[in-house]
Parts: sequence; structure tokens; C-alpha cells
Amino acid sequence: MNNFVKKIYKITQKAEKWGKIMKIKNLTKFHISGLNQEKLLSQLCKQCPLSDIERNSKSDTTFKCSYFDHRKVEKFLKSKNVKIESVTHEGYAHKFFQIFTSYGLIAAFAIFSVLYVVQAQFVLQYCVIGLDKLTESEIVSFVKQEFPAKKSQINTKLVETALIDNFPRISFVSCIIRGQTLVLNIKEKLMPDEMYGSFSPLVAKKDGRISEINLISGTLNVKVGDFVRAGDILVEPFTIDTSGQVKQVEAKAEIVAQVYNEGSVDHYETYVEVVRTGRKVVQNDITLFGLSIYTFKEELNFQMYETEVEDVDLSKNLFLPFKMRKTTFFELEQHTVITKFEDVKDEFVAKAKEKALEKCENYQLMKEEFFTIRELAGVTIVNFCIVTEEDITCYDK
Amino acid sequence: MFNFFNEVKQNLKNSQGLELNGFNIINLSGHLLYVEGHLGLVTLSKELISFKVKNAVIMVEGSDMILSELSDNTIKIAGKIKKVEQI
Repeated sequence: MNNFVKKIYKITQKAEKWGKIMKIKNLTKFHISGLNQEKLLSQLCKQCPLSDIERNSKSDTTFKCSYFDHRKVEKFLKSKNVKIESVTHEGYAHKFFQIFTSYGLIAAFAIFSVLYVVQAQFVLQYCVIGLDKLTESEIVSFVKQEFPAKKSQINTKLVETALIDNFPRISFVSCIIRGQTLVLNIKEKLMPDEMYGSFSPLVAKKDGRISEINLISGTLNVKVGDFVRAGDILVEPFTIDTSGQVKQVEAKAEIVAQVYNEGSVDHYETYVEVVRTGRKVVQNDITLFGLSIYTFKEELNFQMYETEVEDVDLSKNLFLPFKMRKTTFFELEQHTVITKFEDVKDEFVAKAKEKALEKCENYQLMKEEFFTIRELAGVTIVNFCIVTEEDITCYDK
Repeated sequence: MFNFFNEVKQNLKNSQGLELNGFNIINLSGHLLYVEGHLGLVTLSKELISFKVKNAVIMVEGSDMILSELSDNTIKIAGKIKKVEQI
């Protein structure tokens, strides 16, 4: 370290000459006190040139010398038992050399270097490319489990072999370590769809009567004209060959059914309606950190009421978050409403149709629509039915 | 290379027998004094700076004077120089 500093020192002494040319001065200012300073300065100037010598008082003097001579000057002054009041440095050379004496910085750099060297020996990232059916997480978890993270202990050939042995779907794999990343380039085997298709059965997603079947693969569980409920299995995910052997295949089919989409609305001849009268009472509560600071309440003498609460931030800072809770009480009153069904029949039928239409999703054809009315004691029920034709197949989850 | 002091010495008539190798002083407009061949400081203050030369002592009187340079054999005094005296 010392030799290194000396070399740097020599280089910077050469740079000092260039610095002088470029008018960059690296000087050290000494403030000394003591007697007979004239003699001292006369002796000192024989060792190195001095500048800006200023006598502040009889015993106080300041002078400057080159930064590169300051150690020599300091040594000389100490040998003469001169009291050095202060030493200040000017220029870039001192700042540059300060780096080498900043032990905190050196320690931080050393710790950083050690940590960098240590962590550089480990694989920190895994990159898997070329995947189609396999997932990156299963490959990475396998490699992490089977092989150490230290780069020197990872044999890439062994990684390749282990992956091919443990994942039959992989046809080719190449493994390399780039920096701290383990890169796996994987090529998967090309297999027919049936081999890795979904082996769950096709089920009905709605109630209906089957009107058309177009089977692609699998075994049918229903026939045209059958009534099915939502969740019933329509196609099983297997086939049975002539030898009686069961073979797993992806269940695929287009099964169209007549679906009865119903919407129902009830009409009551007599019912109680609750409405707001328009009168209201407001209560305000100002809080800080959840504690109530000020409350304003009007007298509340409503027999029936409903409330609405609104929170408002009074200040837009987190230092004093004043909040106001405004509670409004609305007075309510009850009315008994009597209506005849015949007067509102069209309105209720339209409501029932609207409900039925909400259930009609992804239909291919709307076959017909009709409604029925059932009268009970005080209640009339309107049922509206829309018959559609649609594909009702979905995979069982 | 041109040497100012040598030129002056060579142009001086009857210079034989004179001791011209002692010291040289140049006063520039009363604000800067350049000295060659000093032998050490004697007094240093803002009003008076004196130094030894061969066989004499030079006293420089003035105000706000500082030694802007001091090396092995040269001195540069900056400030308001009123009097330069050889004793």
C-alpha cells in the first residue's frame, strides 16, 4: 500500500508541474506561533520555497508551501519545537490523497469488494427459454433443488442430462452460465394434442333440451331430445377401442340445446311504500386522530328516519388530519299503495321479459318467447320465457 | 539566453575592482521588490522587512508588506514600499 501511495505521489508531483502551467495550485497554509520566526523561516526556505509569508503579530505567522512539501515542513517545524496552530490545504491534490486516508471509505470499498467477490461465485438468476407446455417455475425449482447455487459446483452437462431424464417432454436442452445467470434453452417434444389436452369431461352450463350434437372426440353421454340440467356430463374424456381398451382423449364436441331463459316478477295488490318527506336534520362531528373535538347536533324528533354519512378531510396534511363527519337524518313516512294488476300488467310483463333477457347470453338463435300469469291470494306472478338455441358445453372445473 | 544582470554588469565602465557578485535588488514601481542573493531574514513585520546580504543588511520600510516568496536565495516582497536602505 505504501509503495502504491509513493508511486501515486510521484505521479502527482509530475502532475503538479502541469498544474502550475494550468494555474492549479496545490498549496498548504501553515499558521505557526513562537519566537524568532525570522531565523526559522530563513532555515526553512533553504529546504523548500515558501510563499505568502504574513506576520500577523509578533508571535503569529502564516505562510504557504507546496502541498507536496508539507510533510517536510511539518517535520522541520516539529524538530524546532514550533507550535503549529493550524494546517489547511488548498487544491485538488489534497482531496485526491484524502481518499487514501479515509479509512471508512476504504473499509466500505473493501467490504463491498469482498461481498461482490463472494456473491459473484453464485448463480442468482435462472433464465429458461423455449418453453411451450412446461412451466418455468417447475424447471427452475427442479434445478434449484438438485444443483447447488455455487457456479464452480454446477456441471452444465449434468444439468442438461438431469433435465432430459426427469422431464420426458424435453427433447433438447442446453445449459450455460452467463455471469450470474443460468440460462436454459429447452426444446420440447412435438406430441399430438390428445396427449396433453385437458382430460376433464364436457358438462352442460345451462338447463335445456338437446337439439343437435357434433362430436369431435370423446364418448357421448347424451342424445338428441334429452333434457339436461346445468352440470350434467355431456361428453366423457375417453374412447373405448374395439379391443375394449380405454384411451384418454380430450373431450371435444358442439352440443346445441334449446335453453329456457325465465324471468319472473311478483305483483302485490297491496303493499307499504316508505318515502322521504323532505325534512332533514344534519349533525357535524369534527375529529382529530379519531377523537371528537367539536360536535354540532340539531334536535332530532323524527319518528322514522334513515341516515347518510359523509366523511370530509378538513386539512390536506398528515400533520394535523382534521376530519369532519357529516350525518344527515332524512325523515320517512309510510304509505299503503293499492294497485290492480290489470292496470300495470304491461309494465310487469316488460319487467319479466327484461329479467329473462338478462339470462340470454351467447345464444345462436332465439326460437320463441311467451309469458304466463299465475294469480294467488293477493299476489300475481308473471313468468316470461325466452327459448334460445345455443352451445351449452363447457369443461368441468 | 538573455541575462539582465549580466548585461548591466558588462555595460558598466570601470567595473574592475568592484564586488558585483553579492546581491541584486529590483524595485518595481514601489509595489514589488525582488531580491537575489539574500543570506537570511532578520526582521519580518508588515512595516519593516530586513534581511542579510553579503557584507550588509538591507532594510525595507513600507506598509502592508508581505513576503510573497521566500526561497534559498531569492525574496519577493509585495506591498507599499517606501524605502530600501543598505546598512
